[in-house]
Amino acid sequence: MSVPQAVRIGPAEATLIEQLTGRGATAAAERFALSGLPTRKVETYHYTDLKMLLRAVPGLAGTEKATSEPALRIPGAHRIPMTNGVADLDGSEPAGVRAAIVKGSALSERDDVLVRLNMALAAETLKLDLEGAVDTVLHVDRRTEGDAAHMNDSVHLFLADHGKATVIETFSGTDEVHLSNHASYVAVGRNAELTHILLDLSPARATNFAVAEYHVAEGARLRTVTIHVGAALSRFNLFARFEGETAFGDFTGLNLVSDGQHSDITLELRHAVPRCGSQPLYKQVARGRATAAFQGKIVVDRDAQKTDAKLMMQGLMLSDEAQILSKPELEIFADDVVCGHGSTAGALDEDSLFYLMSRGVPRAEAESMLVRGFIEEILDPIAEENLHEALEGVVEAWLTAVK
Amino acid sequence: MTTPMLEIRNLHARIADREILKGVNLVVPAGEVHAVMGRNGSGKSTLSYVLAGKEDYEVTEGEVLLDGEDILALDPSERAARGLFLAFQYPIEIPGVATMTFLRAAMNAQRKARGEPELSTPDFMREVKEAGRNLRIDSDMLKRALNVGFSGGEKKRAEILQMALLKPKMCVLDETDSGLDIDALKIVSDGVNALRDAGRAMLVITHYQRLLNHIVPDVVHVFSDGRVAESGPKELALELESKGYADFDEAAA
Amino acid sequence: MTETTDYKDAIPTLKDEIERETVEQVLALDVDNYKYGFTTEIESERAPKGLNEDTIRFISAKKGEPEWMLQWRLDAFRRWLTMEEPRWARVSYPEIDFQDMYYYAAPKTVQAPKSLDEVDPALLEMYEKLGVPLREREILAGVEKPRVAVDAVMDSVSVVTTFREELARVGVIFCSIGEAIREYPDLVKKYIGSVVPVSDNFFATLNSAVFTDGTFCYVPKGVRCPMELSTYFRINEKKTGQFERTLIIAEEGAYVSYLEGCTAPKRDENQLHAAVVELIALDDAEIKYSTVQNWFPGDAEGKGGVYNFVTKRGDCRGARSKISWTQVETGSAITWKYPSCILRGDESRGEFYSIAISNGYQQIDSGTKMLHLGRNTTSRIISKGIAAGFSDNTYRGQVSAHAKAKGARNFTQCDSLLIGDKCGAHTVPYIESRNSSAVFEHEATTSKISDDQMFYCQQRGIGEEEAVALIVNGFVRDVLQHLPMEFAVEAQKLISVSLEGSVG
Repeated sequence: MSVPQAVRIGPAEATLIEQLTGRGATAAAERFALSGLPTRKVETYHYTDLKMLLRAVPGLAGTEKATSEPALRIPGAHRIPMTNGVADLDGSEPAGVRAAIVKGSALSERDDVLVRLNMALAAETLKLDLEGAVDTVLHVDRRTEGDAAHMNDSVHLFLADHGKATVIETFSGTDEVHLSNHASYVAVGRNAELTHILLDLSPARATNFAVAEYHVAEGARLRTVTIHVGAALSRFNLFARFEGETAFGDFTGLNLVSDGQHSDITLELRHAVPRCGSQPLYKQVARGRATAAFQGKIVVDRDAQKTDAKLMMQGLMLSDEAQILSKPELEIFADDVVCGHGSTAGALDEDSLFYLMSRGVPRAEAESMLVRGFIEEILDPIAEENLHEALEGVVEAWLTAVK
Repeated sequence: MTTPMLEIRNLHARIADREILKGVNLVVPAGEVHAVMGRNGSGKSTLSYVLAGKEDYEVTEGEVLLDGEDILALDPSERAARGLFLAFQYPIEIPGVATMTFLRAAMNAQRKARGEPELSTPDFMREVKEAGRNLRIDSDMLKRALNVGFSGGEKKRAEILQMALLKPKMCVLDETDSGLDIDALKIVSDGVNALRDAGRAMLVITHYQRLLNHIVPDVVHVFSDGRVAESGPKELALELESKGYADFDEAAA
Repeated sequence: MTETTDYKDAIPTLKDEIERETVEQVLALDVDNYKYGFTTEIESERAPKGLNEDTIRFISAKKGEPEWMLQWRLDAFRRWLTMEEPRWARVSYPEIDFQDMYYYAAPKTVQAPKSLDEVDPALLEMYEKLGVPLREREILAGVEKPRVAVDAVMDSVSVVTTFREELARVGVIFCSIGEAIREYPDLVKKYIGSVVPVSDNFFATLNSAVFTDGTFCYVPKGVRCPMELSTYFRINEKKTGQFERTLIIAEEGAYVSYLEGCTAPKRDENQLHAAVVELIALDDAEIKYSTVQNWFPGDAEGKGGVYNFVTKRGDCRGARSKISWTQVETGSAITWKYPSCILRGDESRGEFYSIAISNGYQQIDSGTKMLHLGRNTTSRIISKGIAAGFSDNTYRGQVSAHAKAKGARNFTQCDSLLIGDKCGAHTVPYIESRNSSAVFEHEATTSKISDDQMFYCQQRGIGEEEAVALIVNGFVRDVLQHLPMEFAVEAQKLISVSLEGSVG
């Protein structure tokens, strides 16, 4: 009934407006001043009210040297360090990999606050063009270094037709109250096969945002694995789009959330063309006073007949103070499709625990064994042994960390 | 007099508000195999769960002594470490946990509880392979997640494999014959018979006499309405088969 | 007989669902698209067009309400003025001009009739045409038919309530809400607005300000209501909003089953219906609430039809209480409706069974909320959405377990069926677990009627439309079985009628 009015601007928002203006992004600043940070009334942020959760924004990041240790070491992988948005390319890239730096952010325009911030603030993009079968695992080691900083960086990844590759991007940094906003643009060529992993290992007090957009061409096979471990406040914004027929995507993820953390994985998957398949599978494990949220929306366009899409979210609660929130959505406009979703939440199964204990396994060990079993389905399909082992190590460390 | 392997004294147990075990008395000496027979709903399976320590059941009275030690205050893993093994009627499927991983965790946990060193990988592999061979369990099955997608027969063989590897003192077999065809039944009973030993006792819970043709018991107990109604030599099983359970109900009442 | 068996085996998804009876019923279908679209010429009295405090005073005075009720309404109206129309639902419609409609319309001849004999014969005839039994004698004559007590509401007033005396003998109060406000003010005062607060949402607040009639039902402690209770709503007048309010209270250990039916004439303008239903179940009480909503959906071009913005909520206030919602939604141009359960009492149970069918240009955004607050509370949701034509059909539901709701359980099954490629089917569940001992399971599927199923039916001589109706009836069977018998048969016919013109 009333005319929409500009929202009240809080201190975090004021800083963001200042930063946008300071970088000459006047239009973005004006637009942001009107909307502010999203509240729970914005459907895509229903469980992550940034206006409430993001209280302060540190100053914009400057150039820094990498001082922290790599958060993950994968034997045999080729690591490309990227510090405060600047990639360190030494020309040693493996065969089939071309790396270059281009100006600006890699993201496409979209009505999303994190996308807009990154587009306005990321100065340059690490562009990786992959061709043929790249046997070496590529590790883009994205870090926010130095004192507390608001850092926007960007990666553009293209796997050419018929290519095959495995790429992991990790997010980490110095133990400060950083605000990092990472962008990844991933395009998979025709009949190409890509495994793409995003792993948040940010320090405990940090806020980590990551936007990834996936474009999948005809006949391609894509596996994405999105893992949250670190960061007090974390949000993964995943946008995927099938653009060529008969492509298939396994979109998977692990939201491991401990005491004091709030972590949100939001996926919007669009089937724009016929005969594609997708199988999103996300697992959330929460312990302590923590919030794990997952939103997964499958959109099937009018033309996307013969789509086969099944989304599953499974939540495991390890404490009474934890909450697991889930919003799996279907938006379907084509009639000849098989689509579905499922969502479950609960504690560890008592019968399984009893079975393990009746074989002599003590309760604590039986519990972590069941949690490991629960998680394994996500890691199991990652074929590269060293990478698989490294990720199991990450999970293991999370499991054994002080609760 | 030697200490019996298992001694149950006046055991009462309930689930929610329903009393199911109403004063069970049972003694199984080491080296013997005892059968517990009874119709569905007589409380046989409850007895096996209570022995193994399932939380859903509340023991309201009585004692359970394993090799002379009262185990009722112990949790299921502690009972297992002291040598109690339950072969489940319906083994639980545990996705994501490979059978091999599970076997190793169980064997090492028990060794650790008894103060023994962990098994080395080659020793472990050898033991599993040997035990598996007799039960026709191949390495492919061991790589799969525990009981997930196993056929009824595979699940029961996997139970006996665990029994062979964990070398318990007291084995409780709950309806081990259910869902098995005659060939599978033979493999499973051969596996059980191979584990009969002077230092080990077994309690075989079954609904049908058929299993007892393969695993011949020393003593048969007839279970009715939550307690042992009658005990006797193995011929008692045959008598039950021909007469049915009705006669024993009165004895229990 | 063997043929019947083959028939079943060949279509596994329809197994056990196709019965000869259904086939016959479907074949015998009336092909008139919206058969309740007639208007009845009945002289009526209306409040002046538009909405202001005077309108509310007019309504309250017409109803002979006590002062507290008027104040309650005015308070709601003042709050409403500060509120915004919700826009989050997946429906779109031109802005409603709340000043361009009437808020009160009453057939002139029914100023509180004392008995059926005093009711205008034109009205009785109308209800007869709608298939609503109002003549007690006739109902009684039909021996094998179960008896149903009816409160018939047309536009803004209750026309007649049947079987009142018989109900009164066991202590059940069944009357119009207007009468209840006058006769049982203490009961109304105690419970009205206690489940849906005055300012709950835009439409509920509007309703609180201007509600005109509706049904009141009170079942005392330990009483099992001896018959089905039902209200039959009819919008007849032009440019008239219908704002009814229903309040049902089941005291300790009481049981009541209540049915609600709705129709409206075909008109090329949109009519607004904004109802509020409040249910309260105390310890060990059970309320079963069934709706067959068949408001005019608009014509083939999407013109006209009812805007159905309804707030329905049940409060399982007592331990072991149970509230069950069953709805068959086939009408309305726009449906915005989420019958919900607040599971406050320990071990209370909420159920929601829904069939929502959209055809033509209909838009449905409907679902439920199950809010688990008490210990060991359970809920179950079965929703079947069918979209045809150019329609959009959205299931929106929320299941949440409070931190104190130890042992809460929910099972949700949400299936959508698309007929044709110009429609949309959407599922938006919010699943919020704040308790580790809560176990939630949610499943949703979207599919179409398979070509094999269609071919099989057609090969057996069943026409395309009948085949669709047959298969859809199979698809919704899980829900239909929760409706009272006689309603289920009605609903089944209604489903077929609603889907006419959806193929080819």
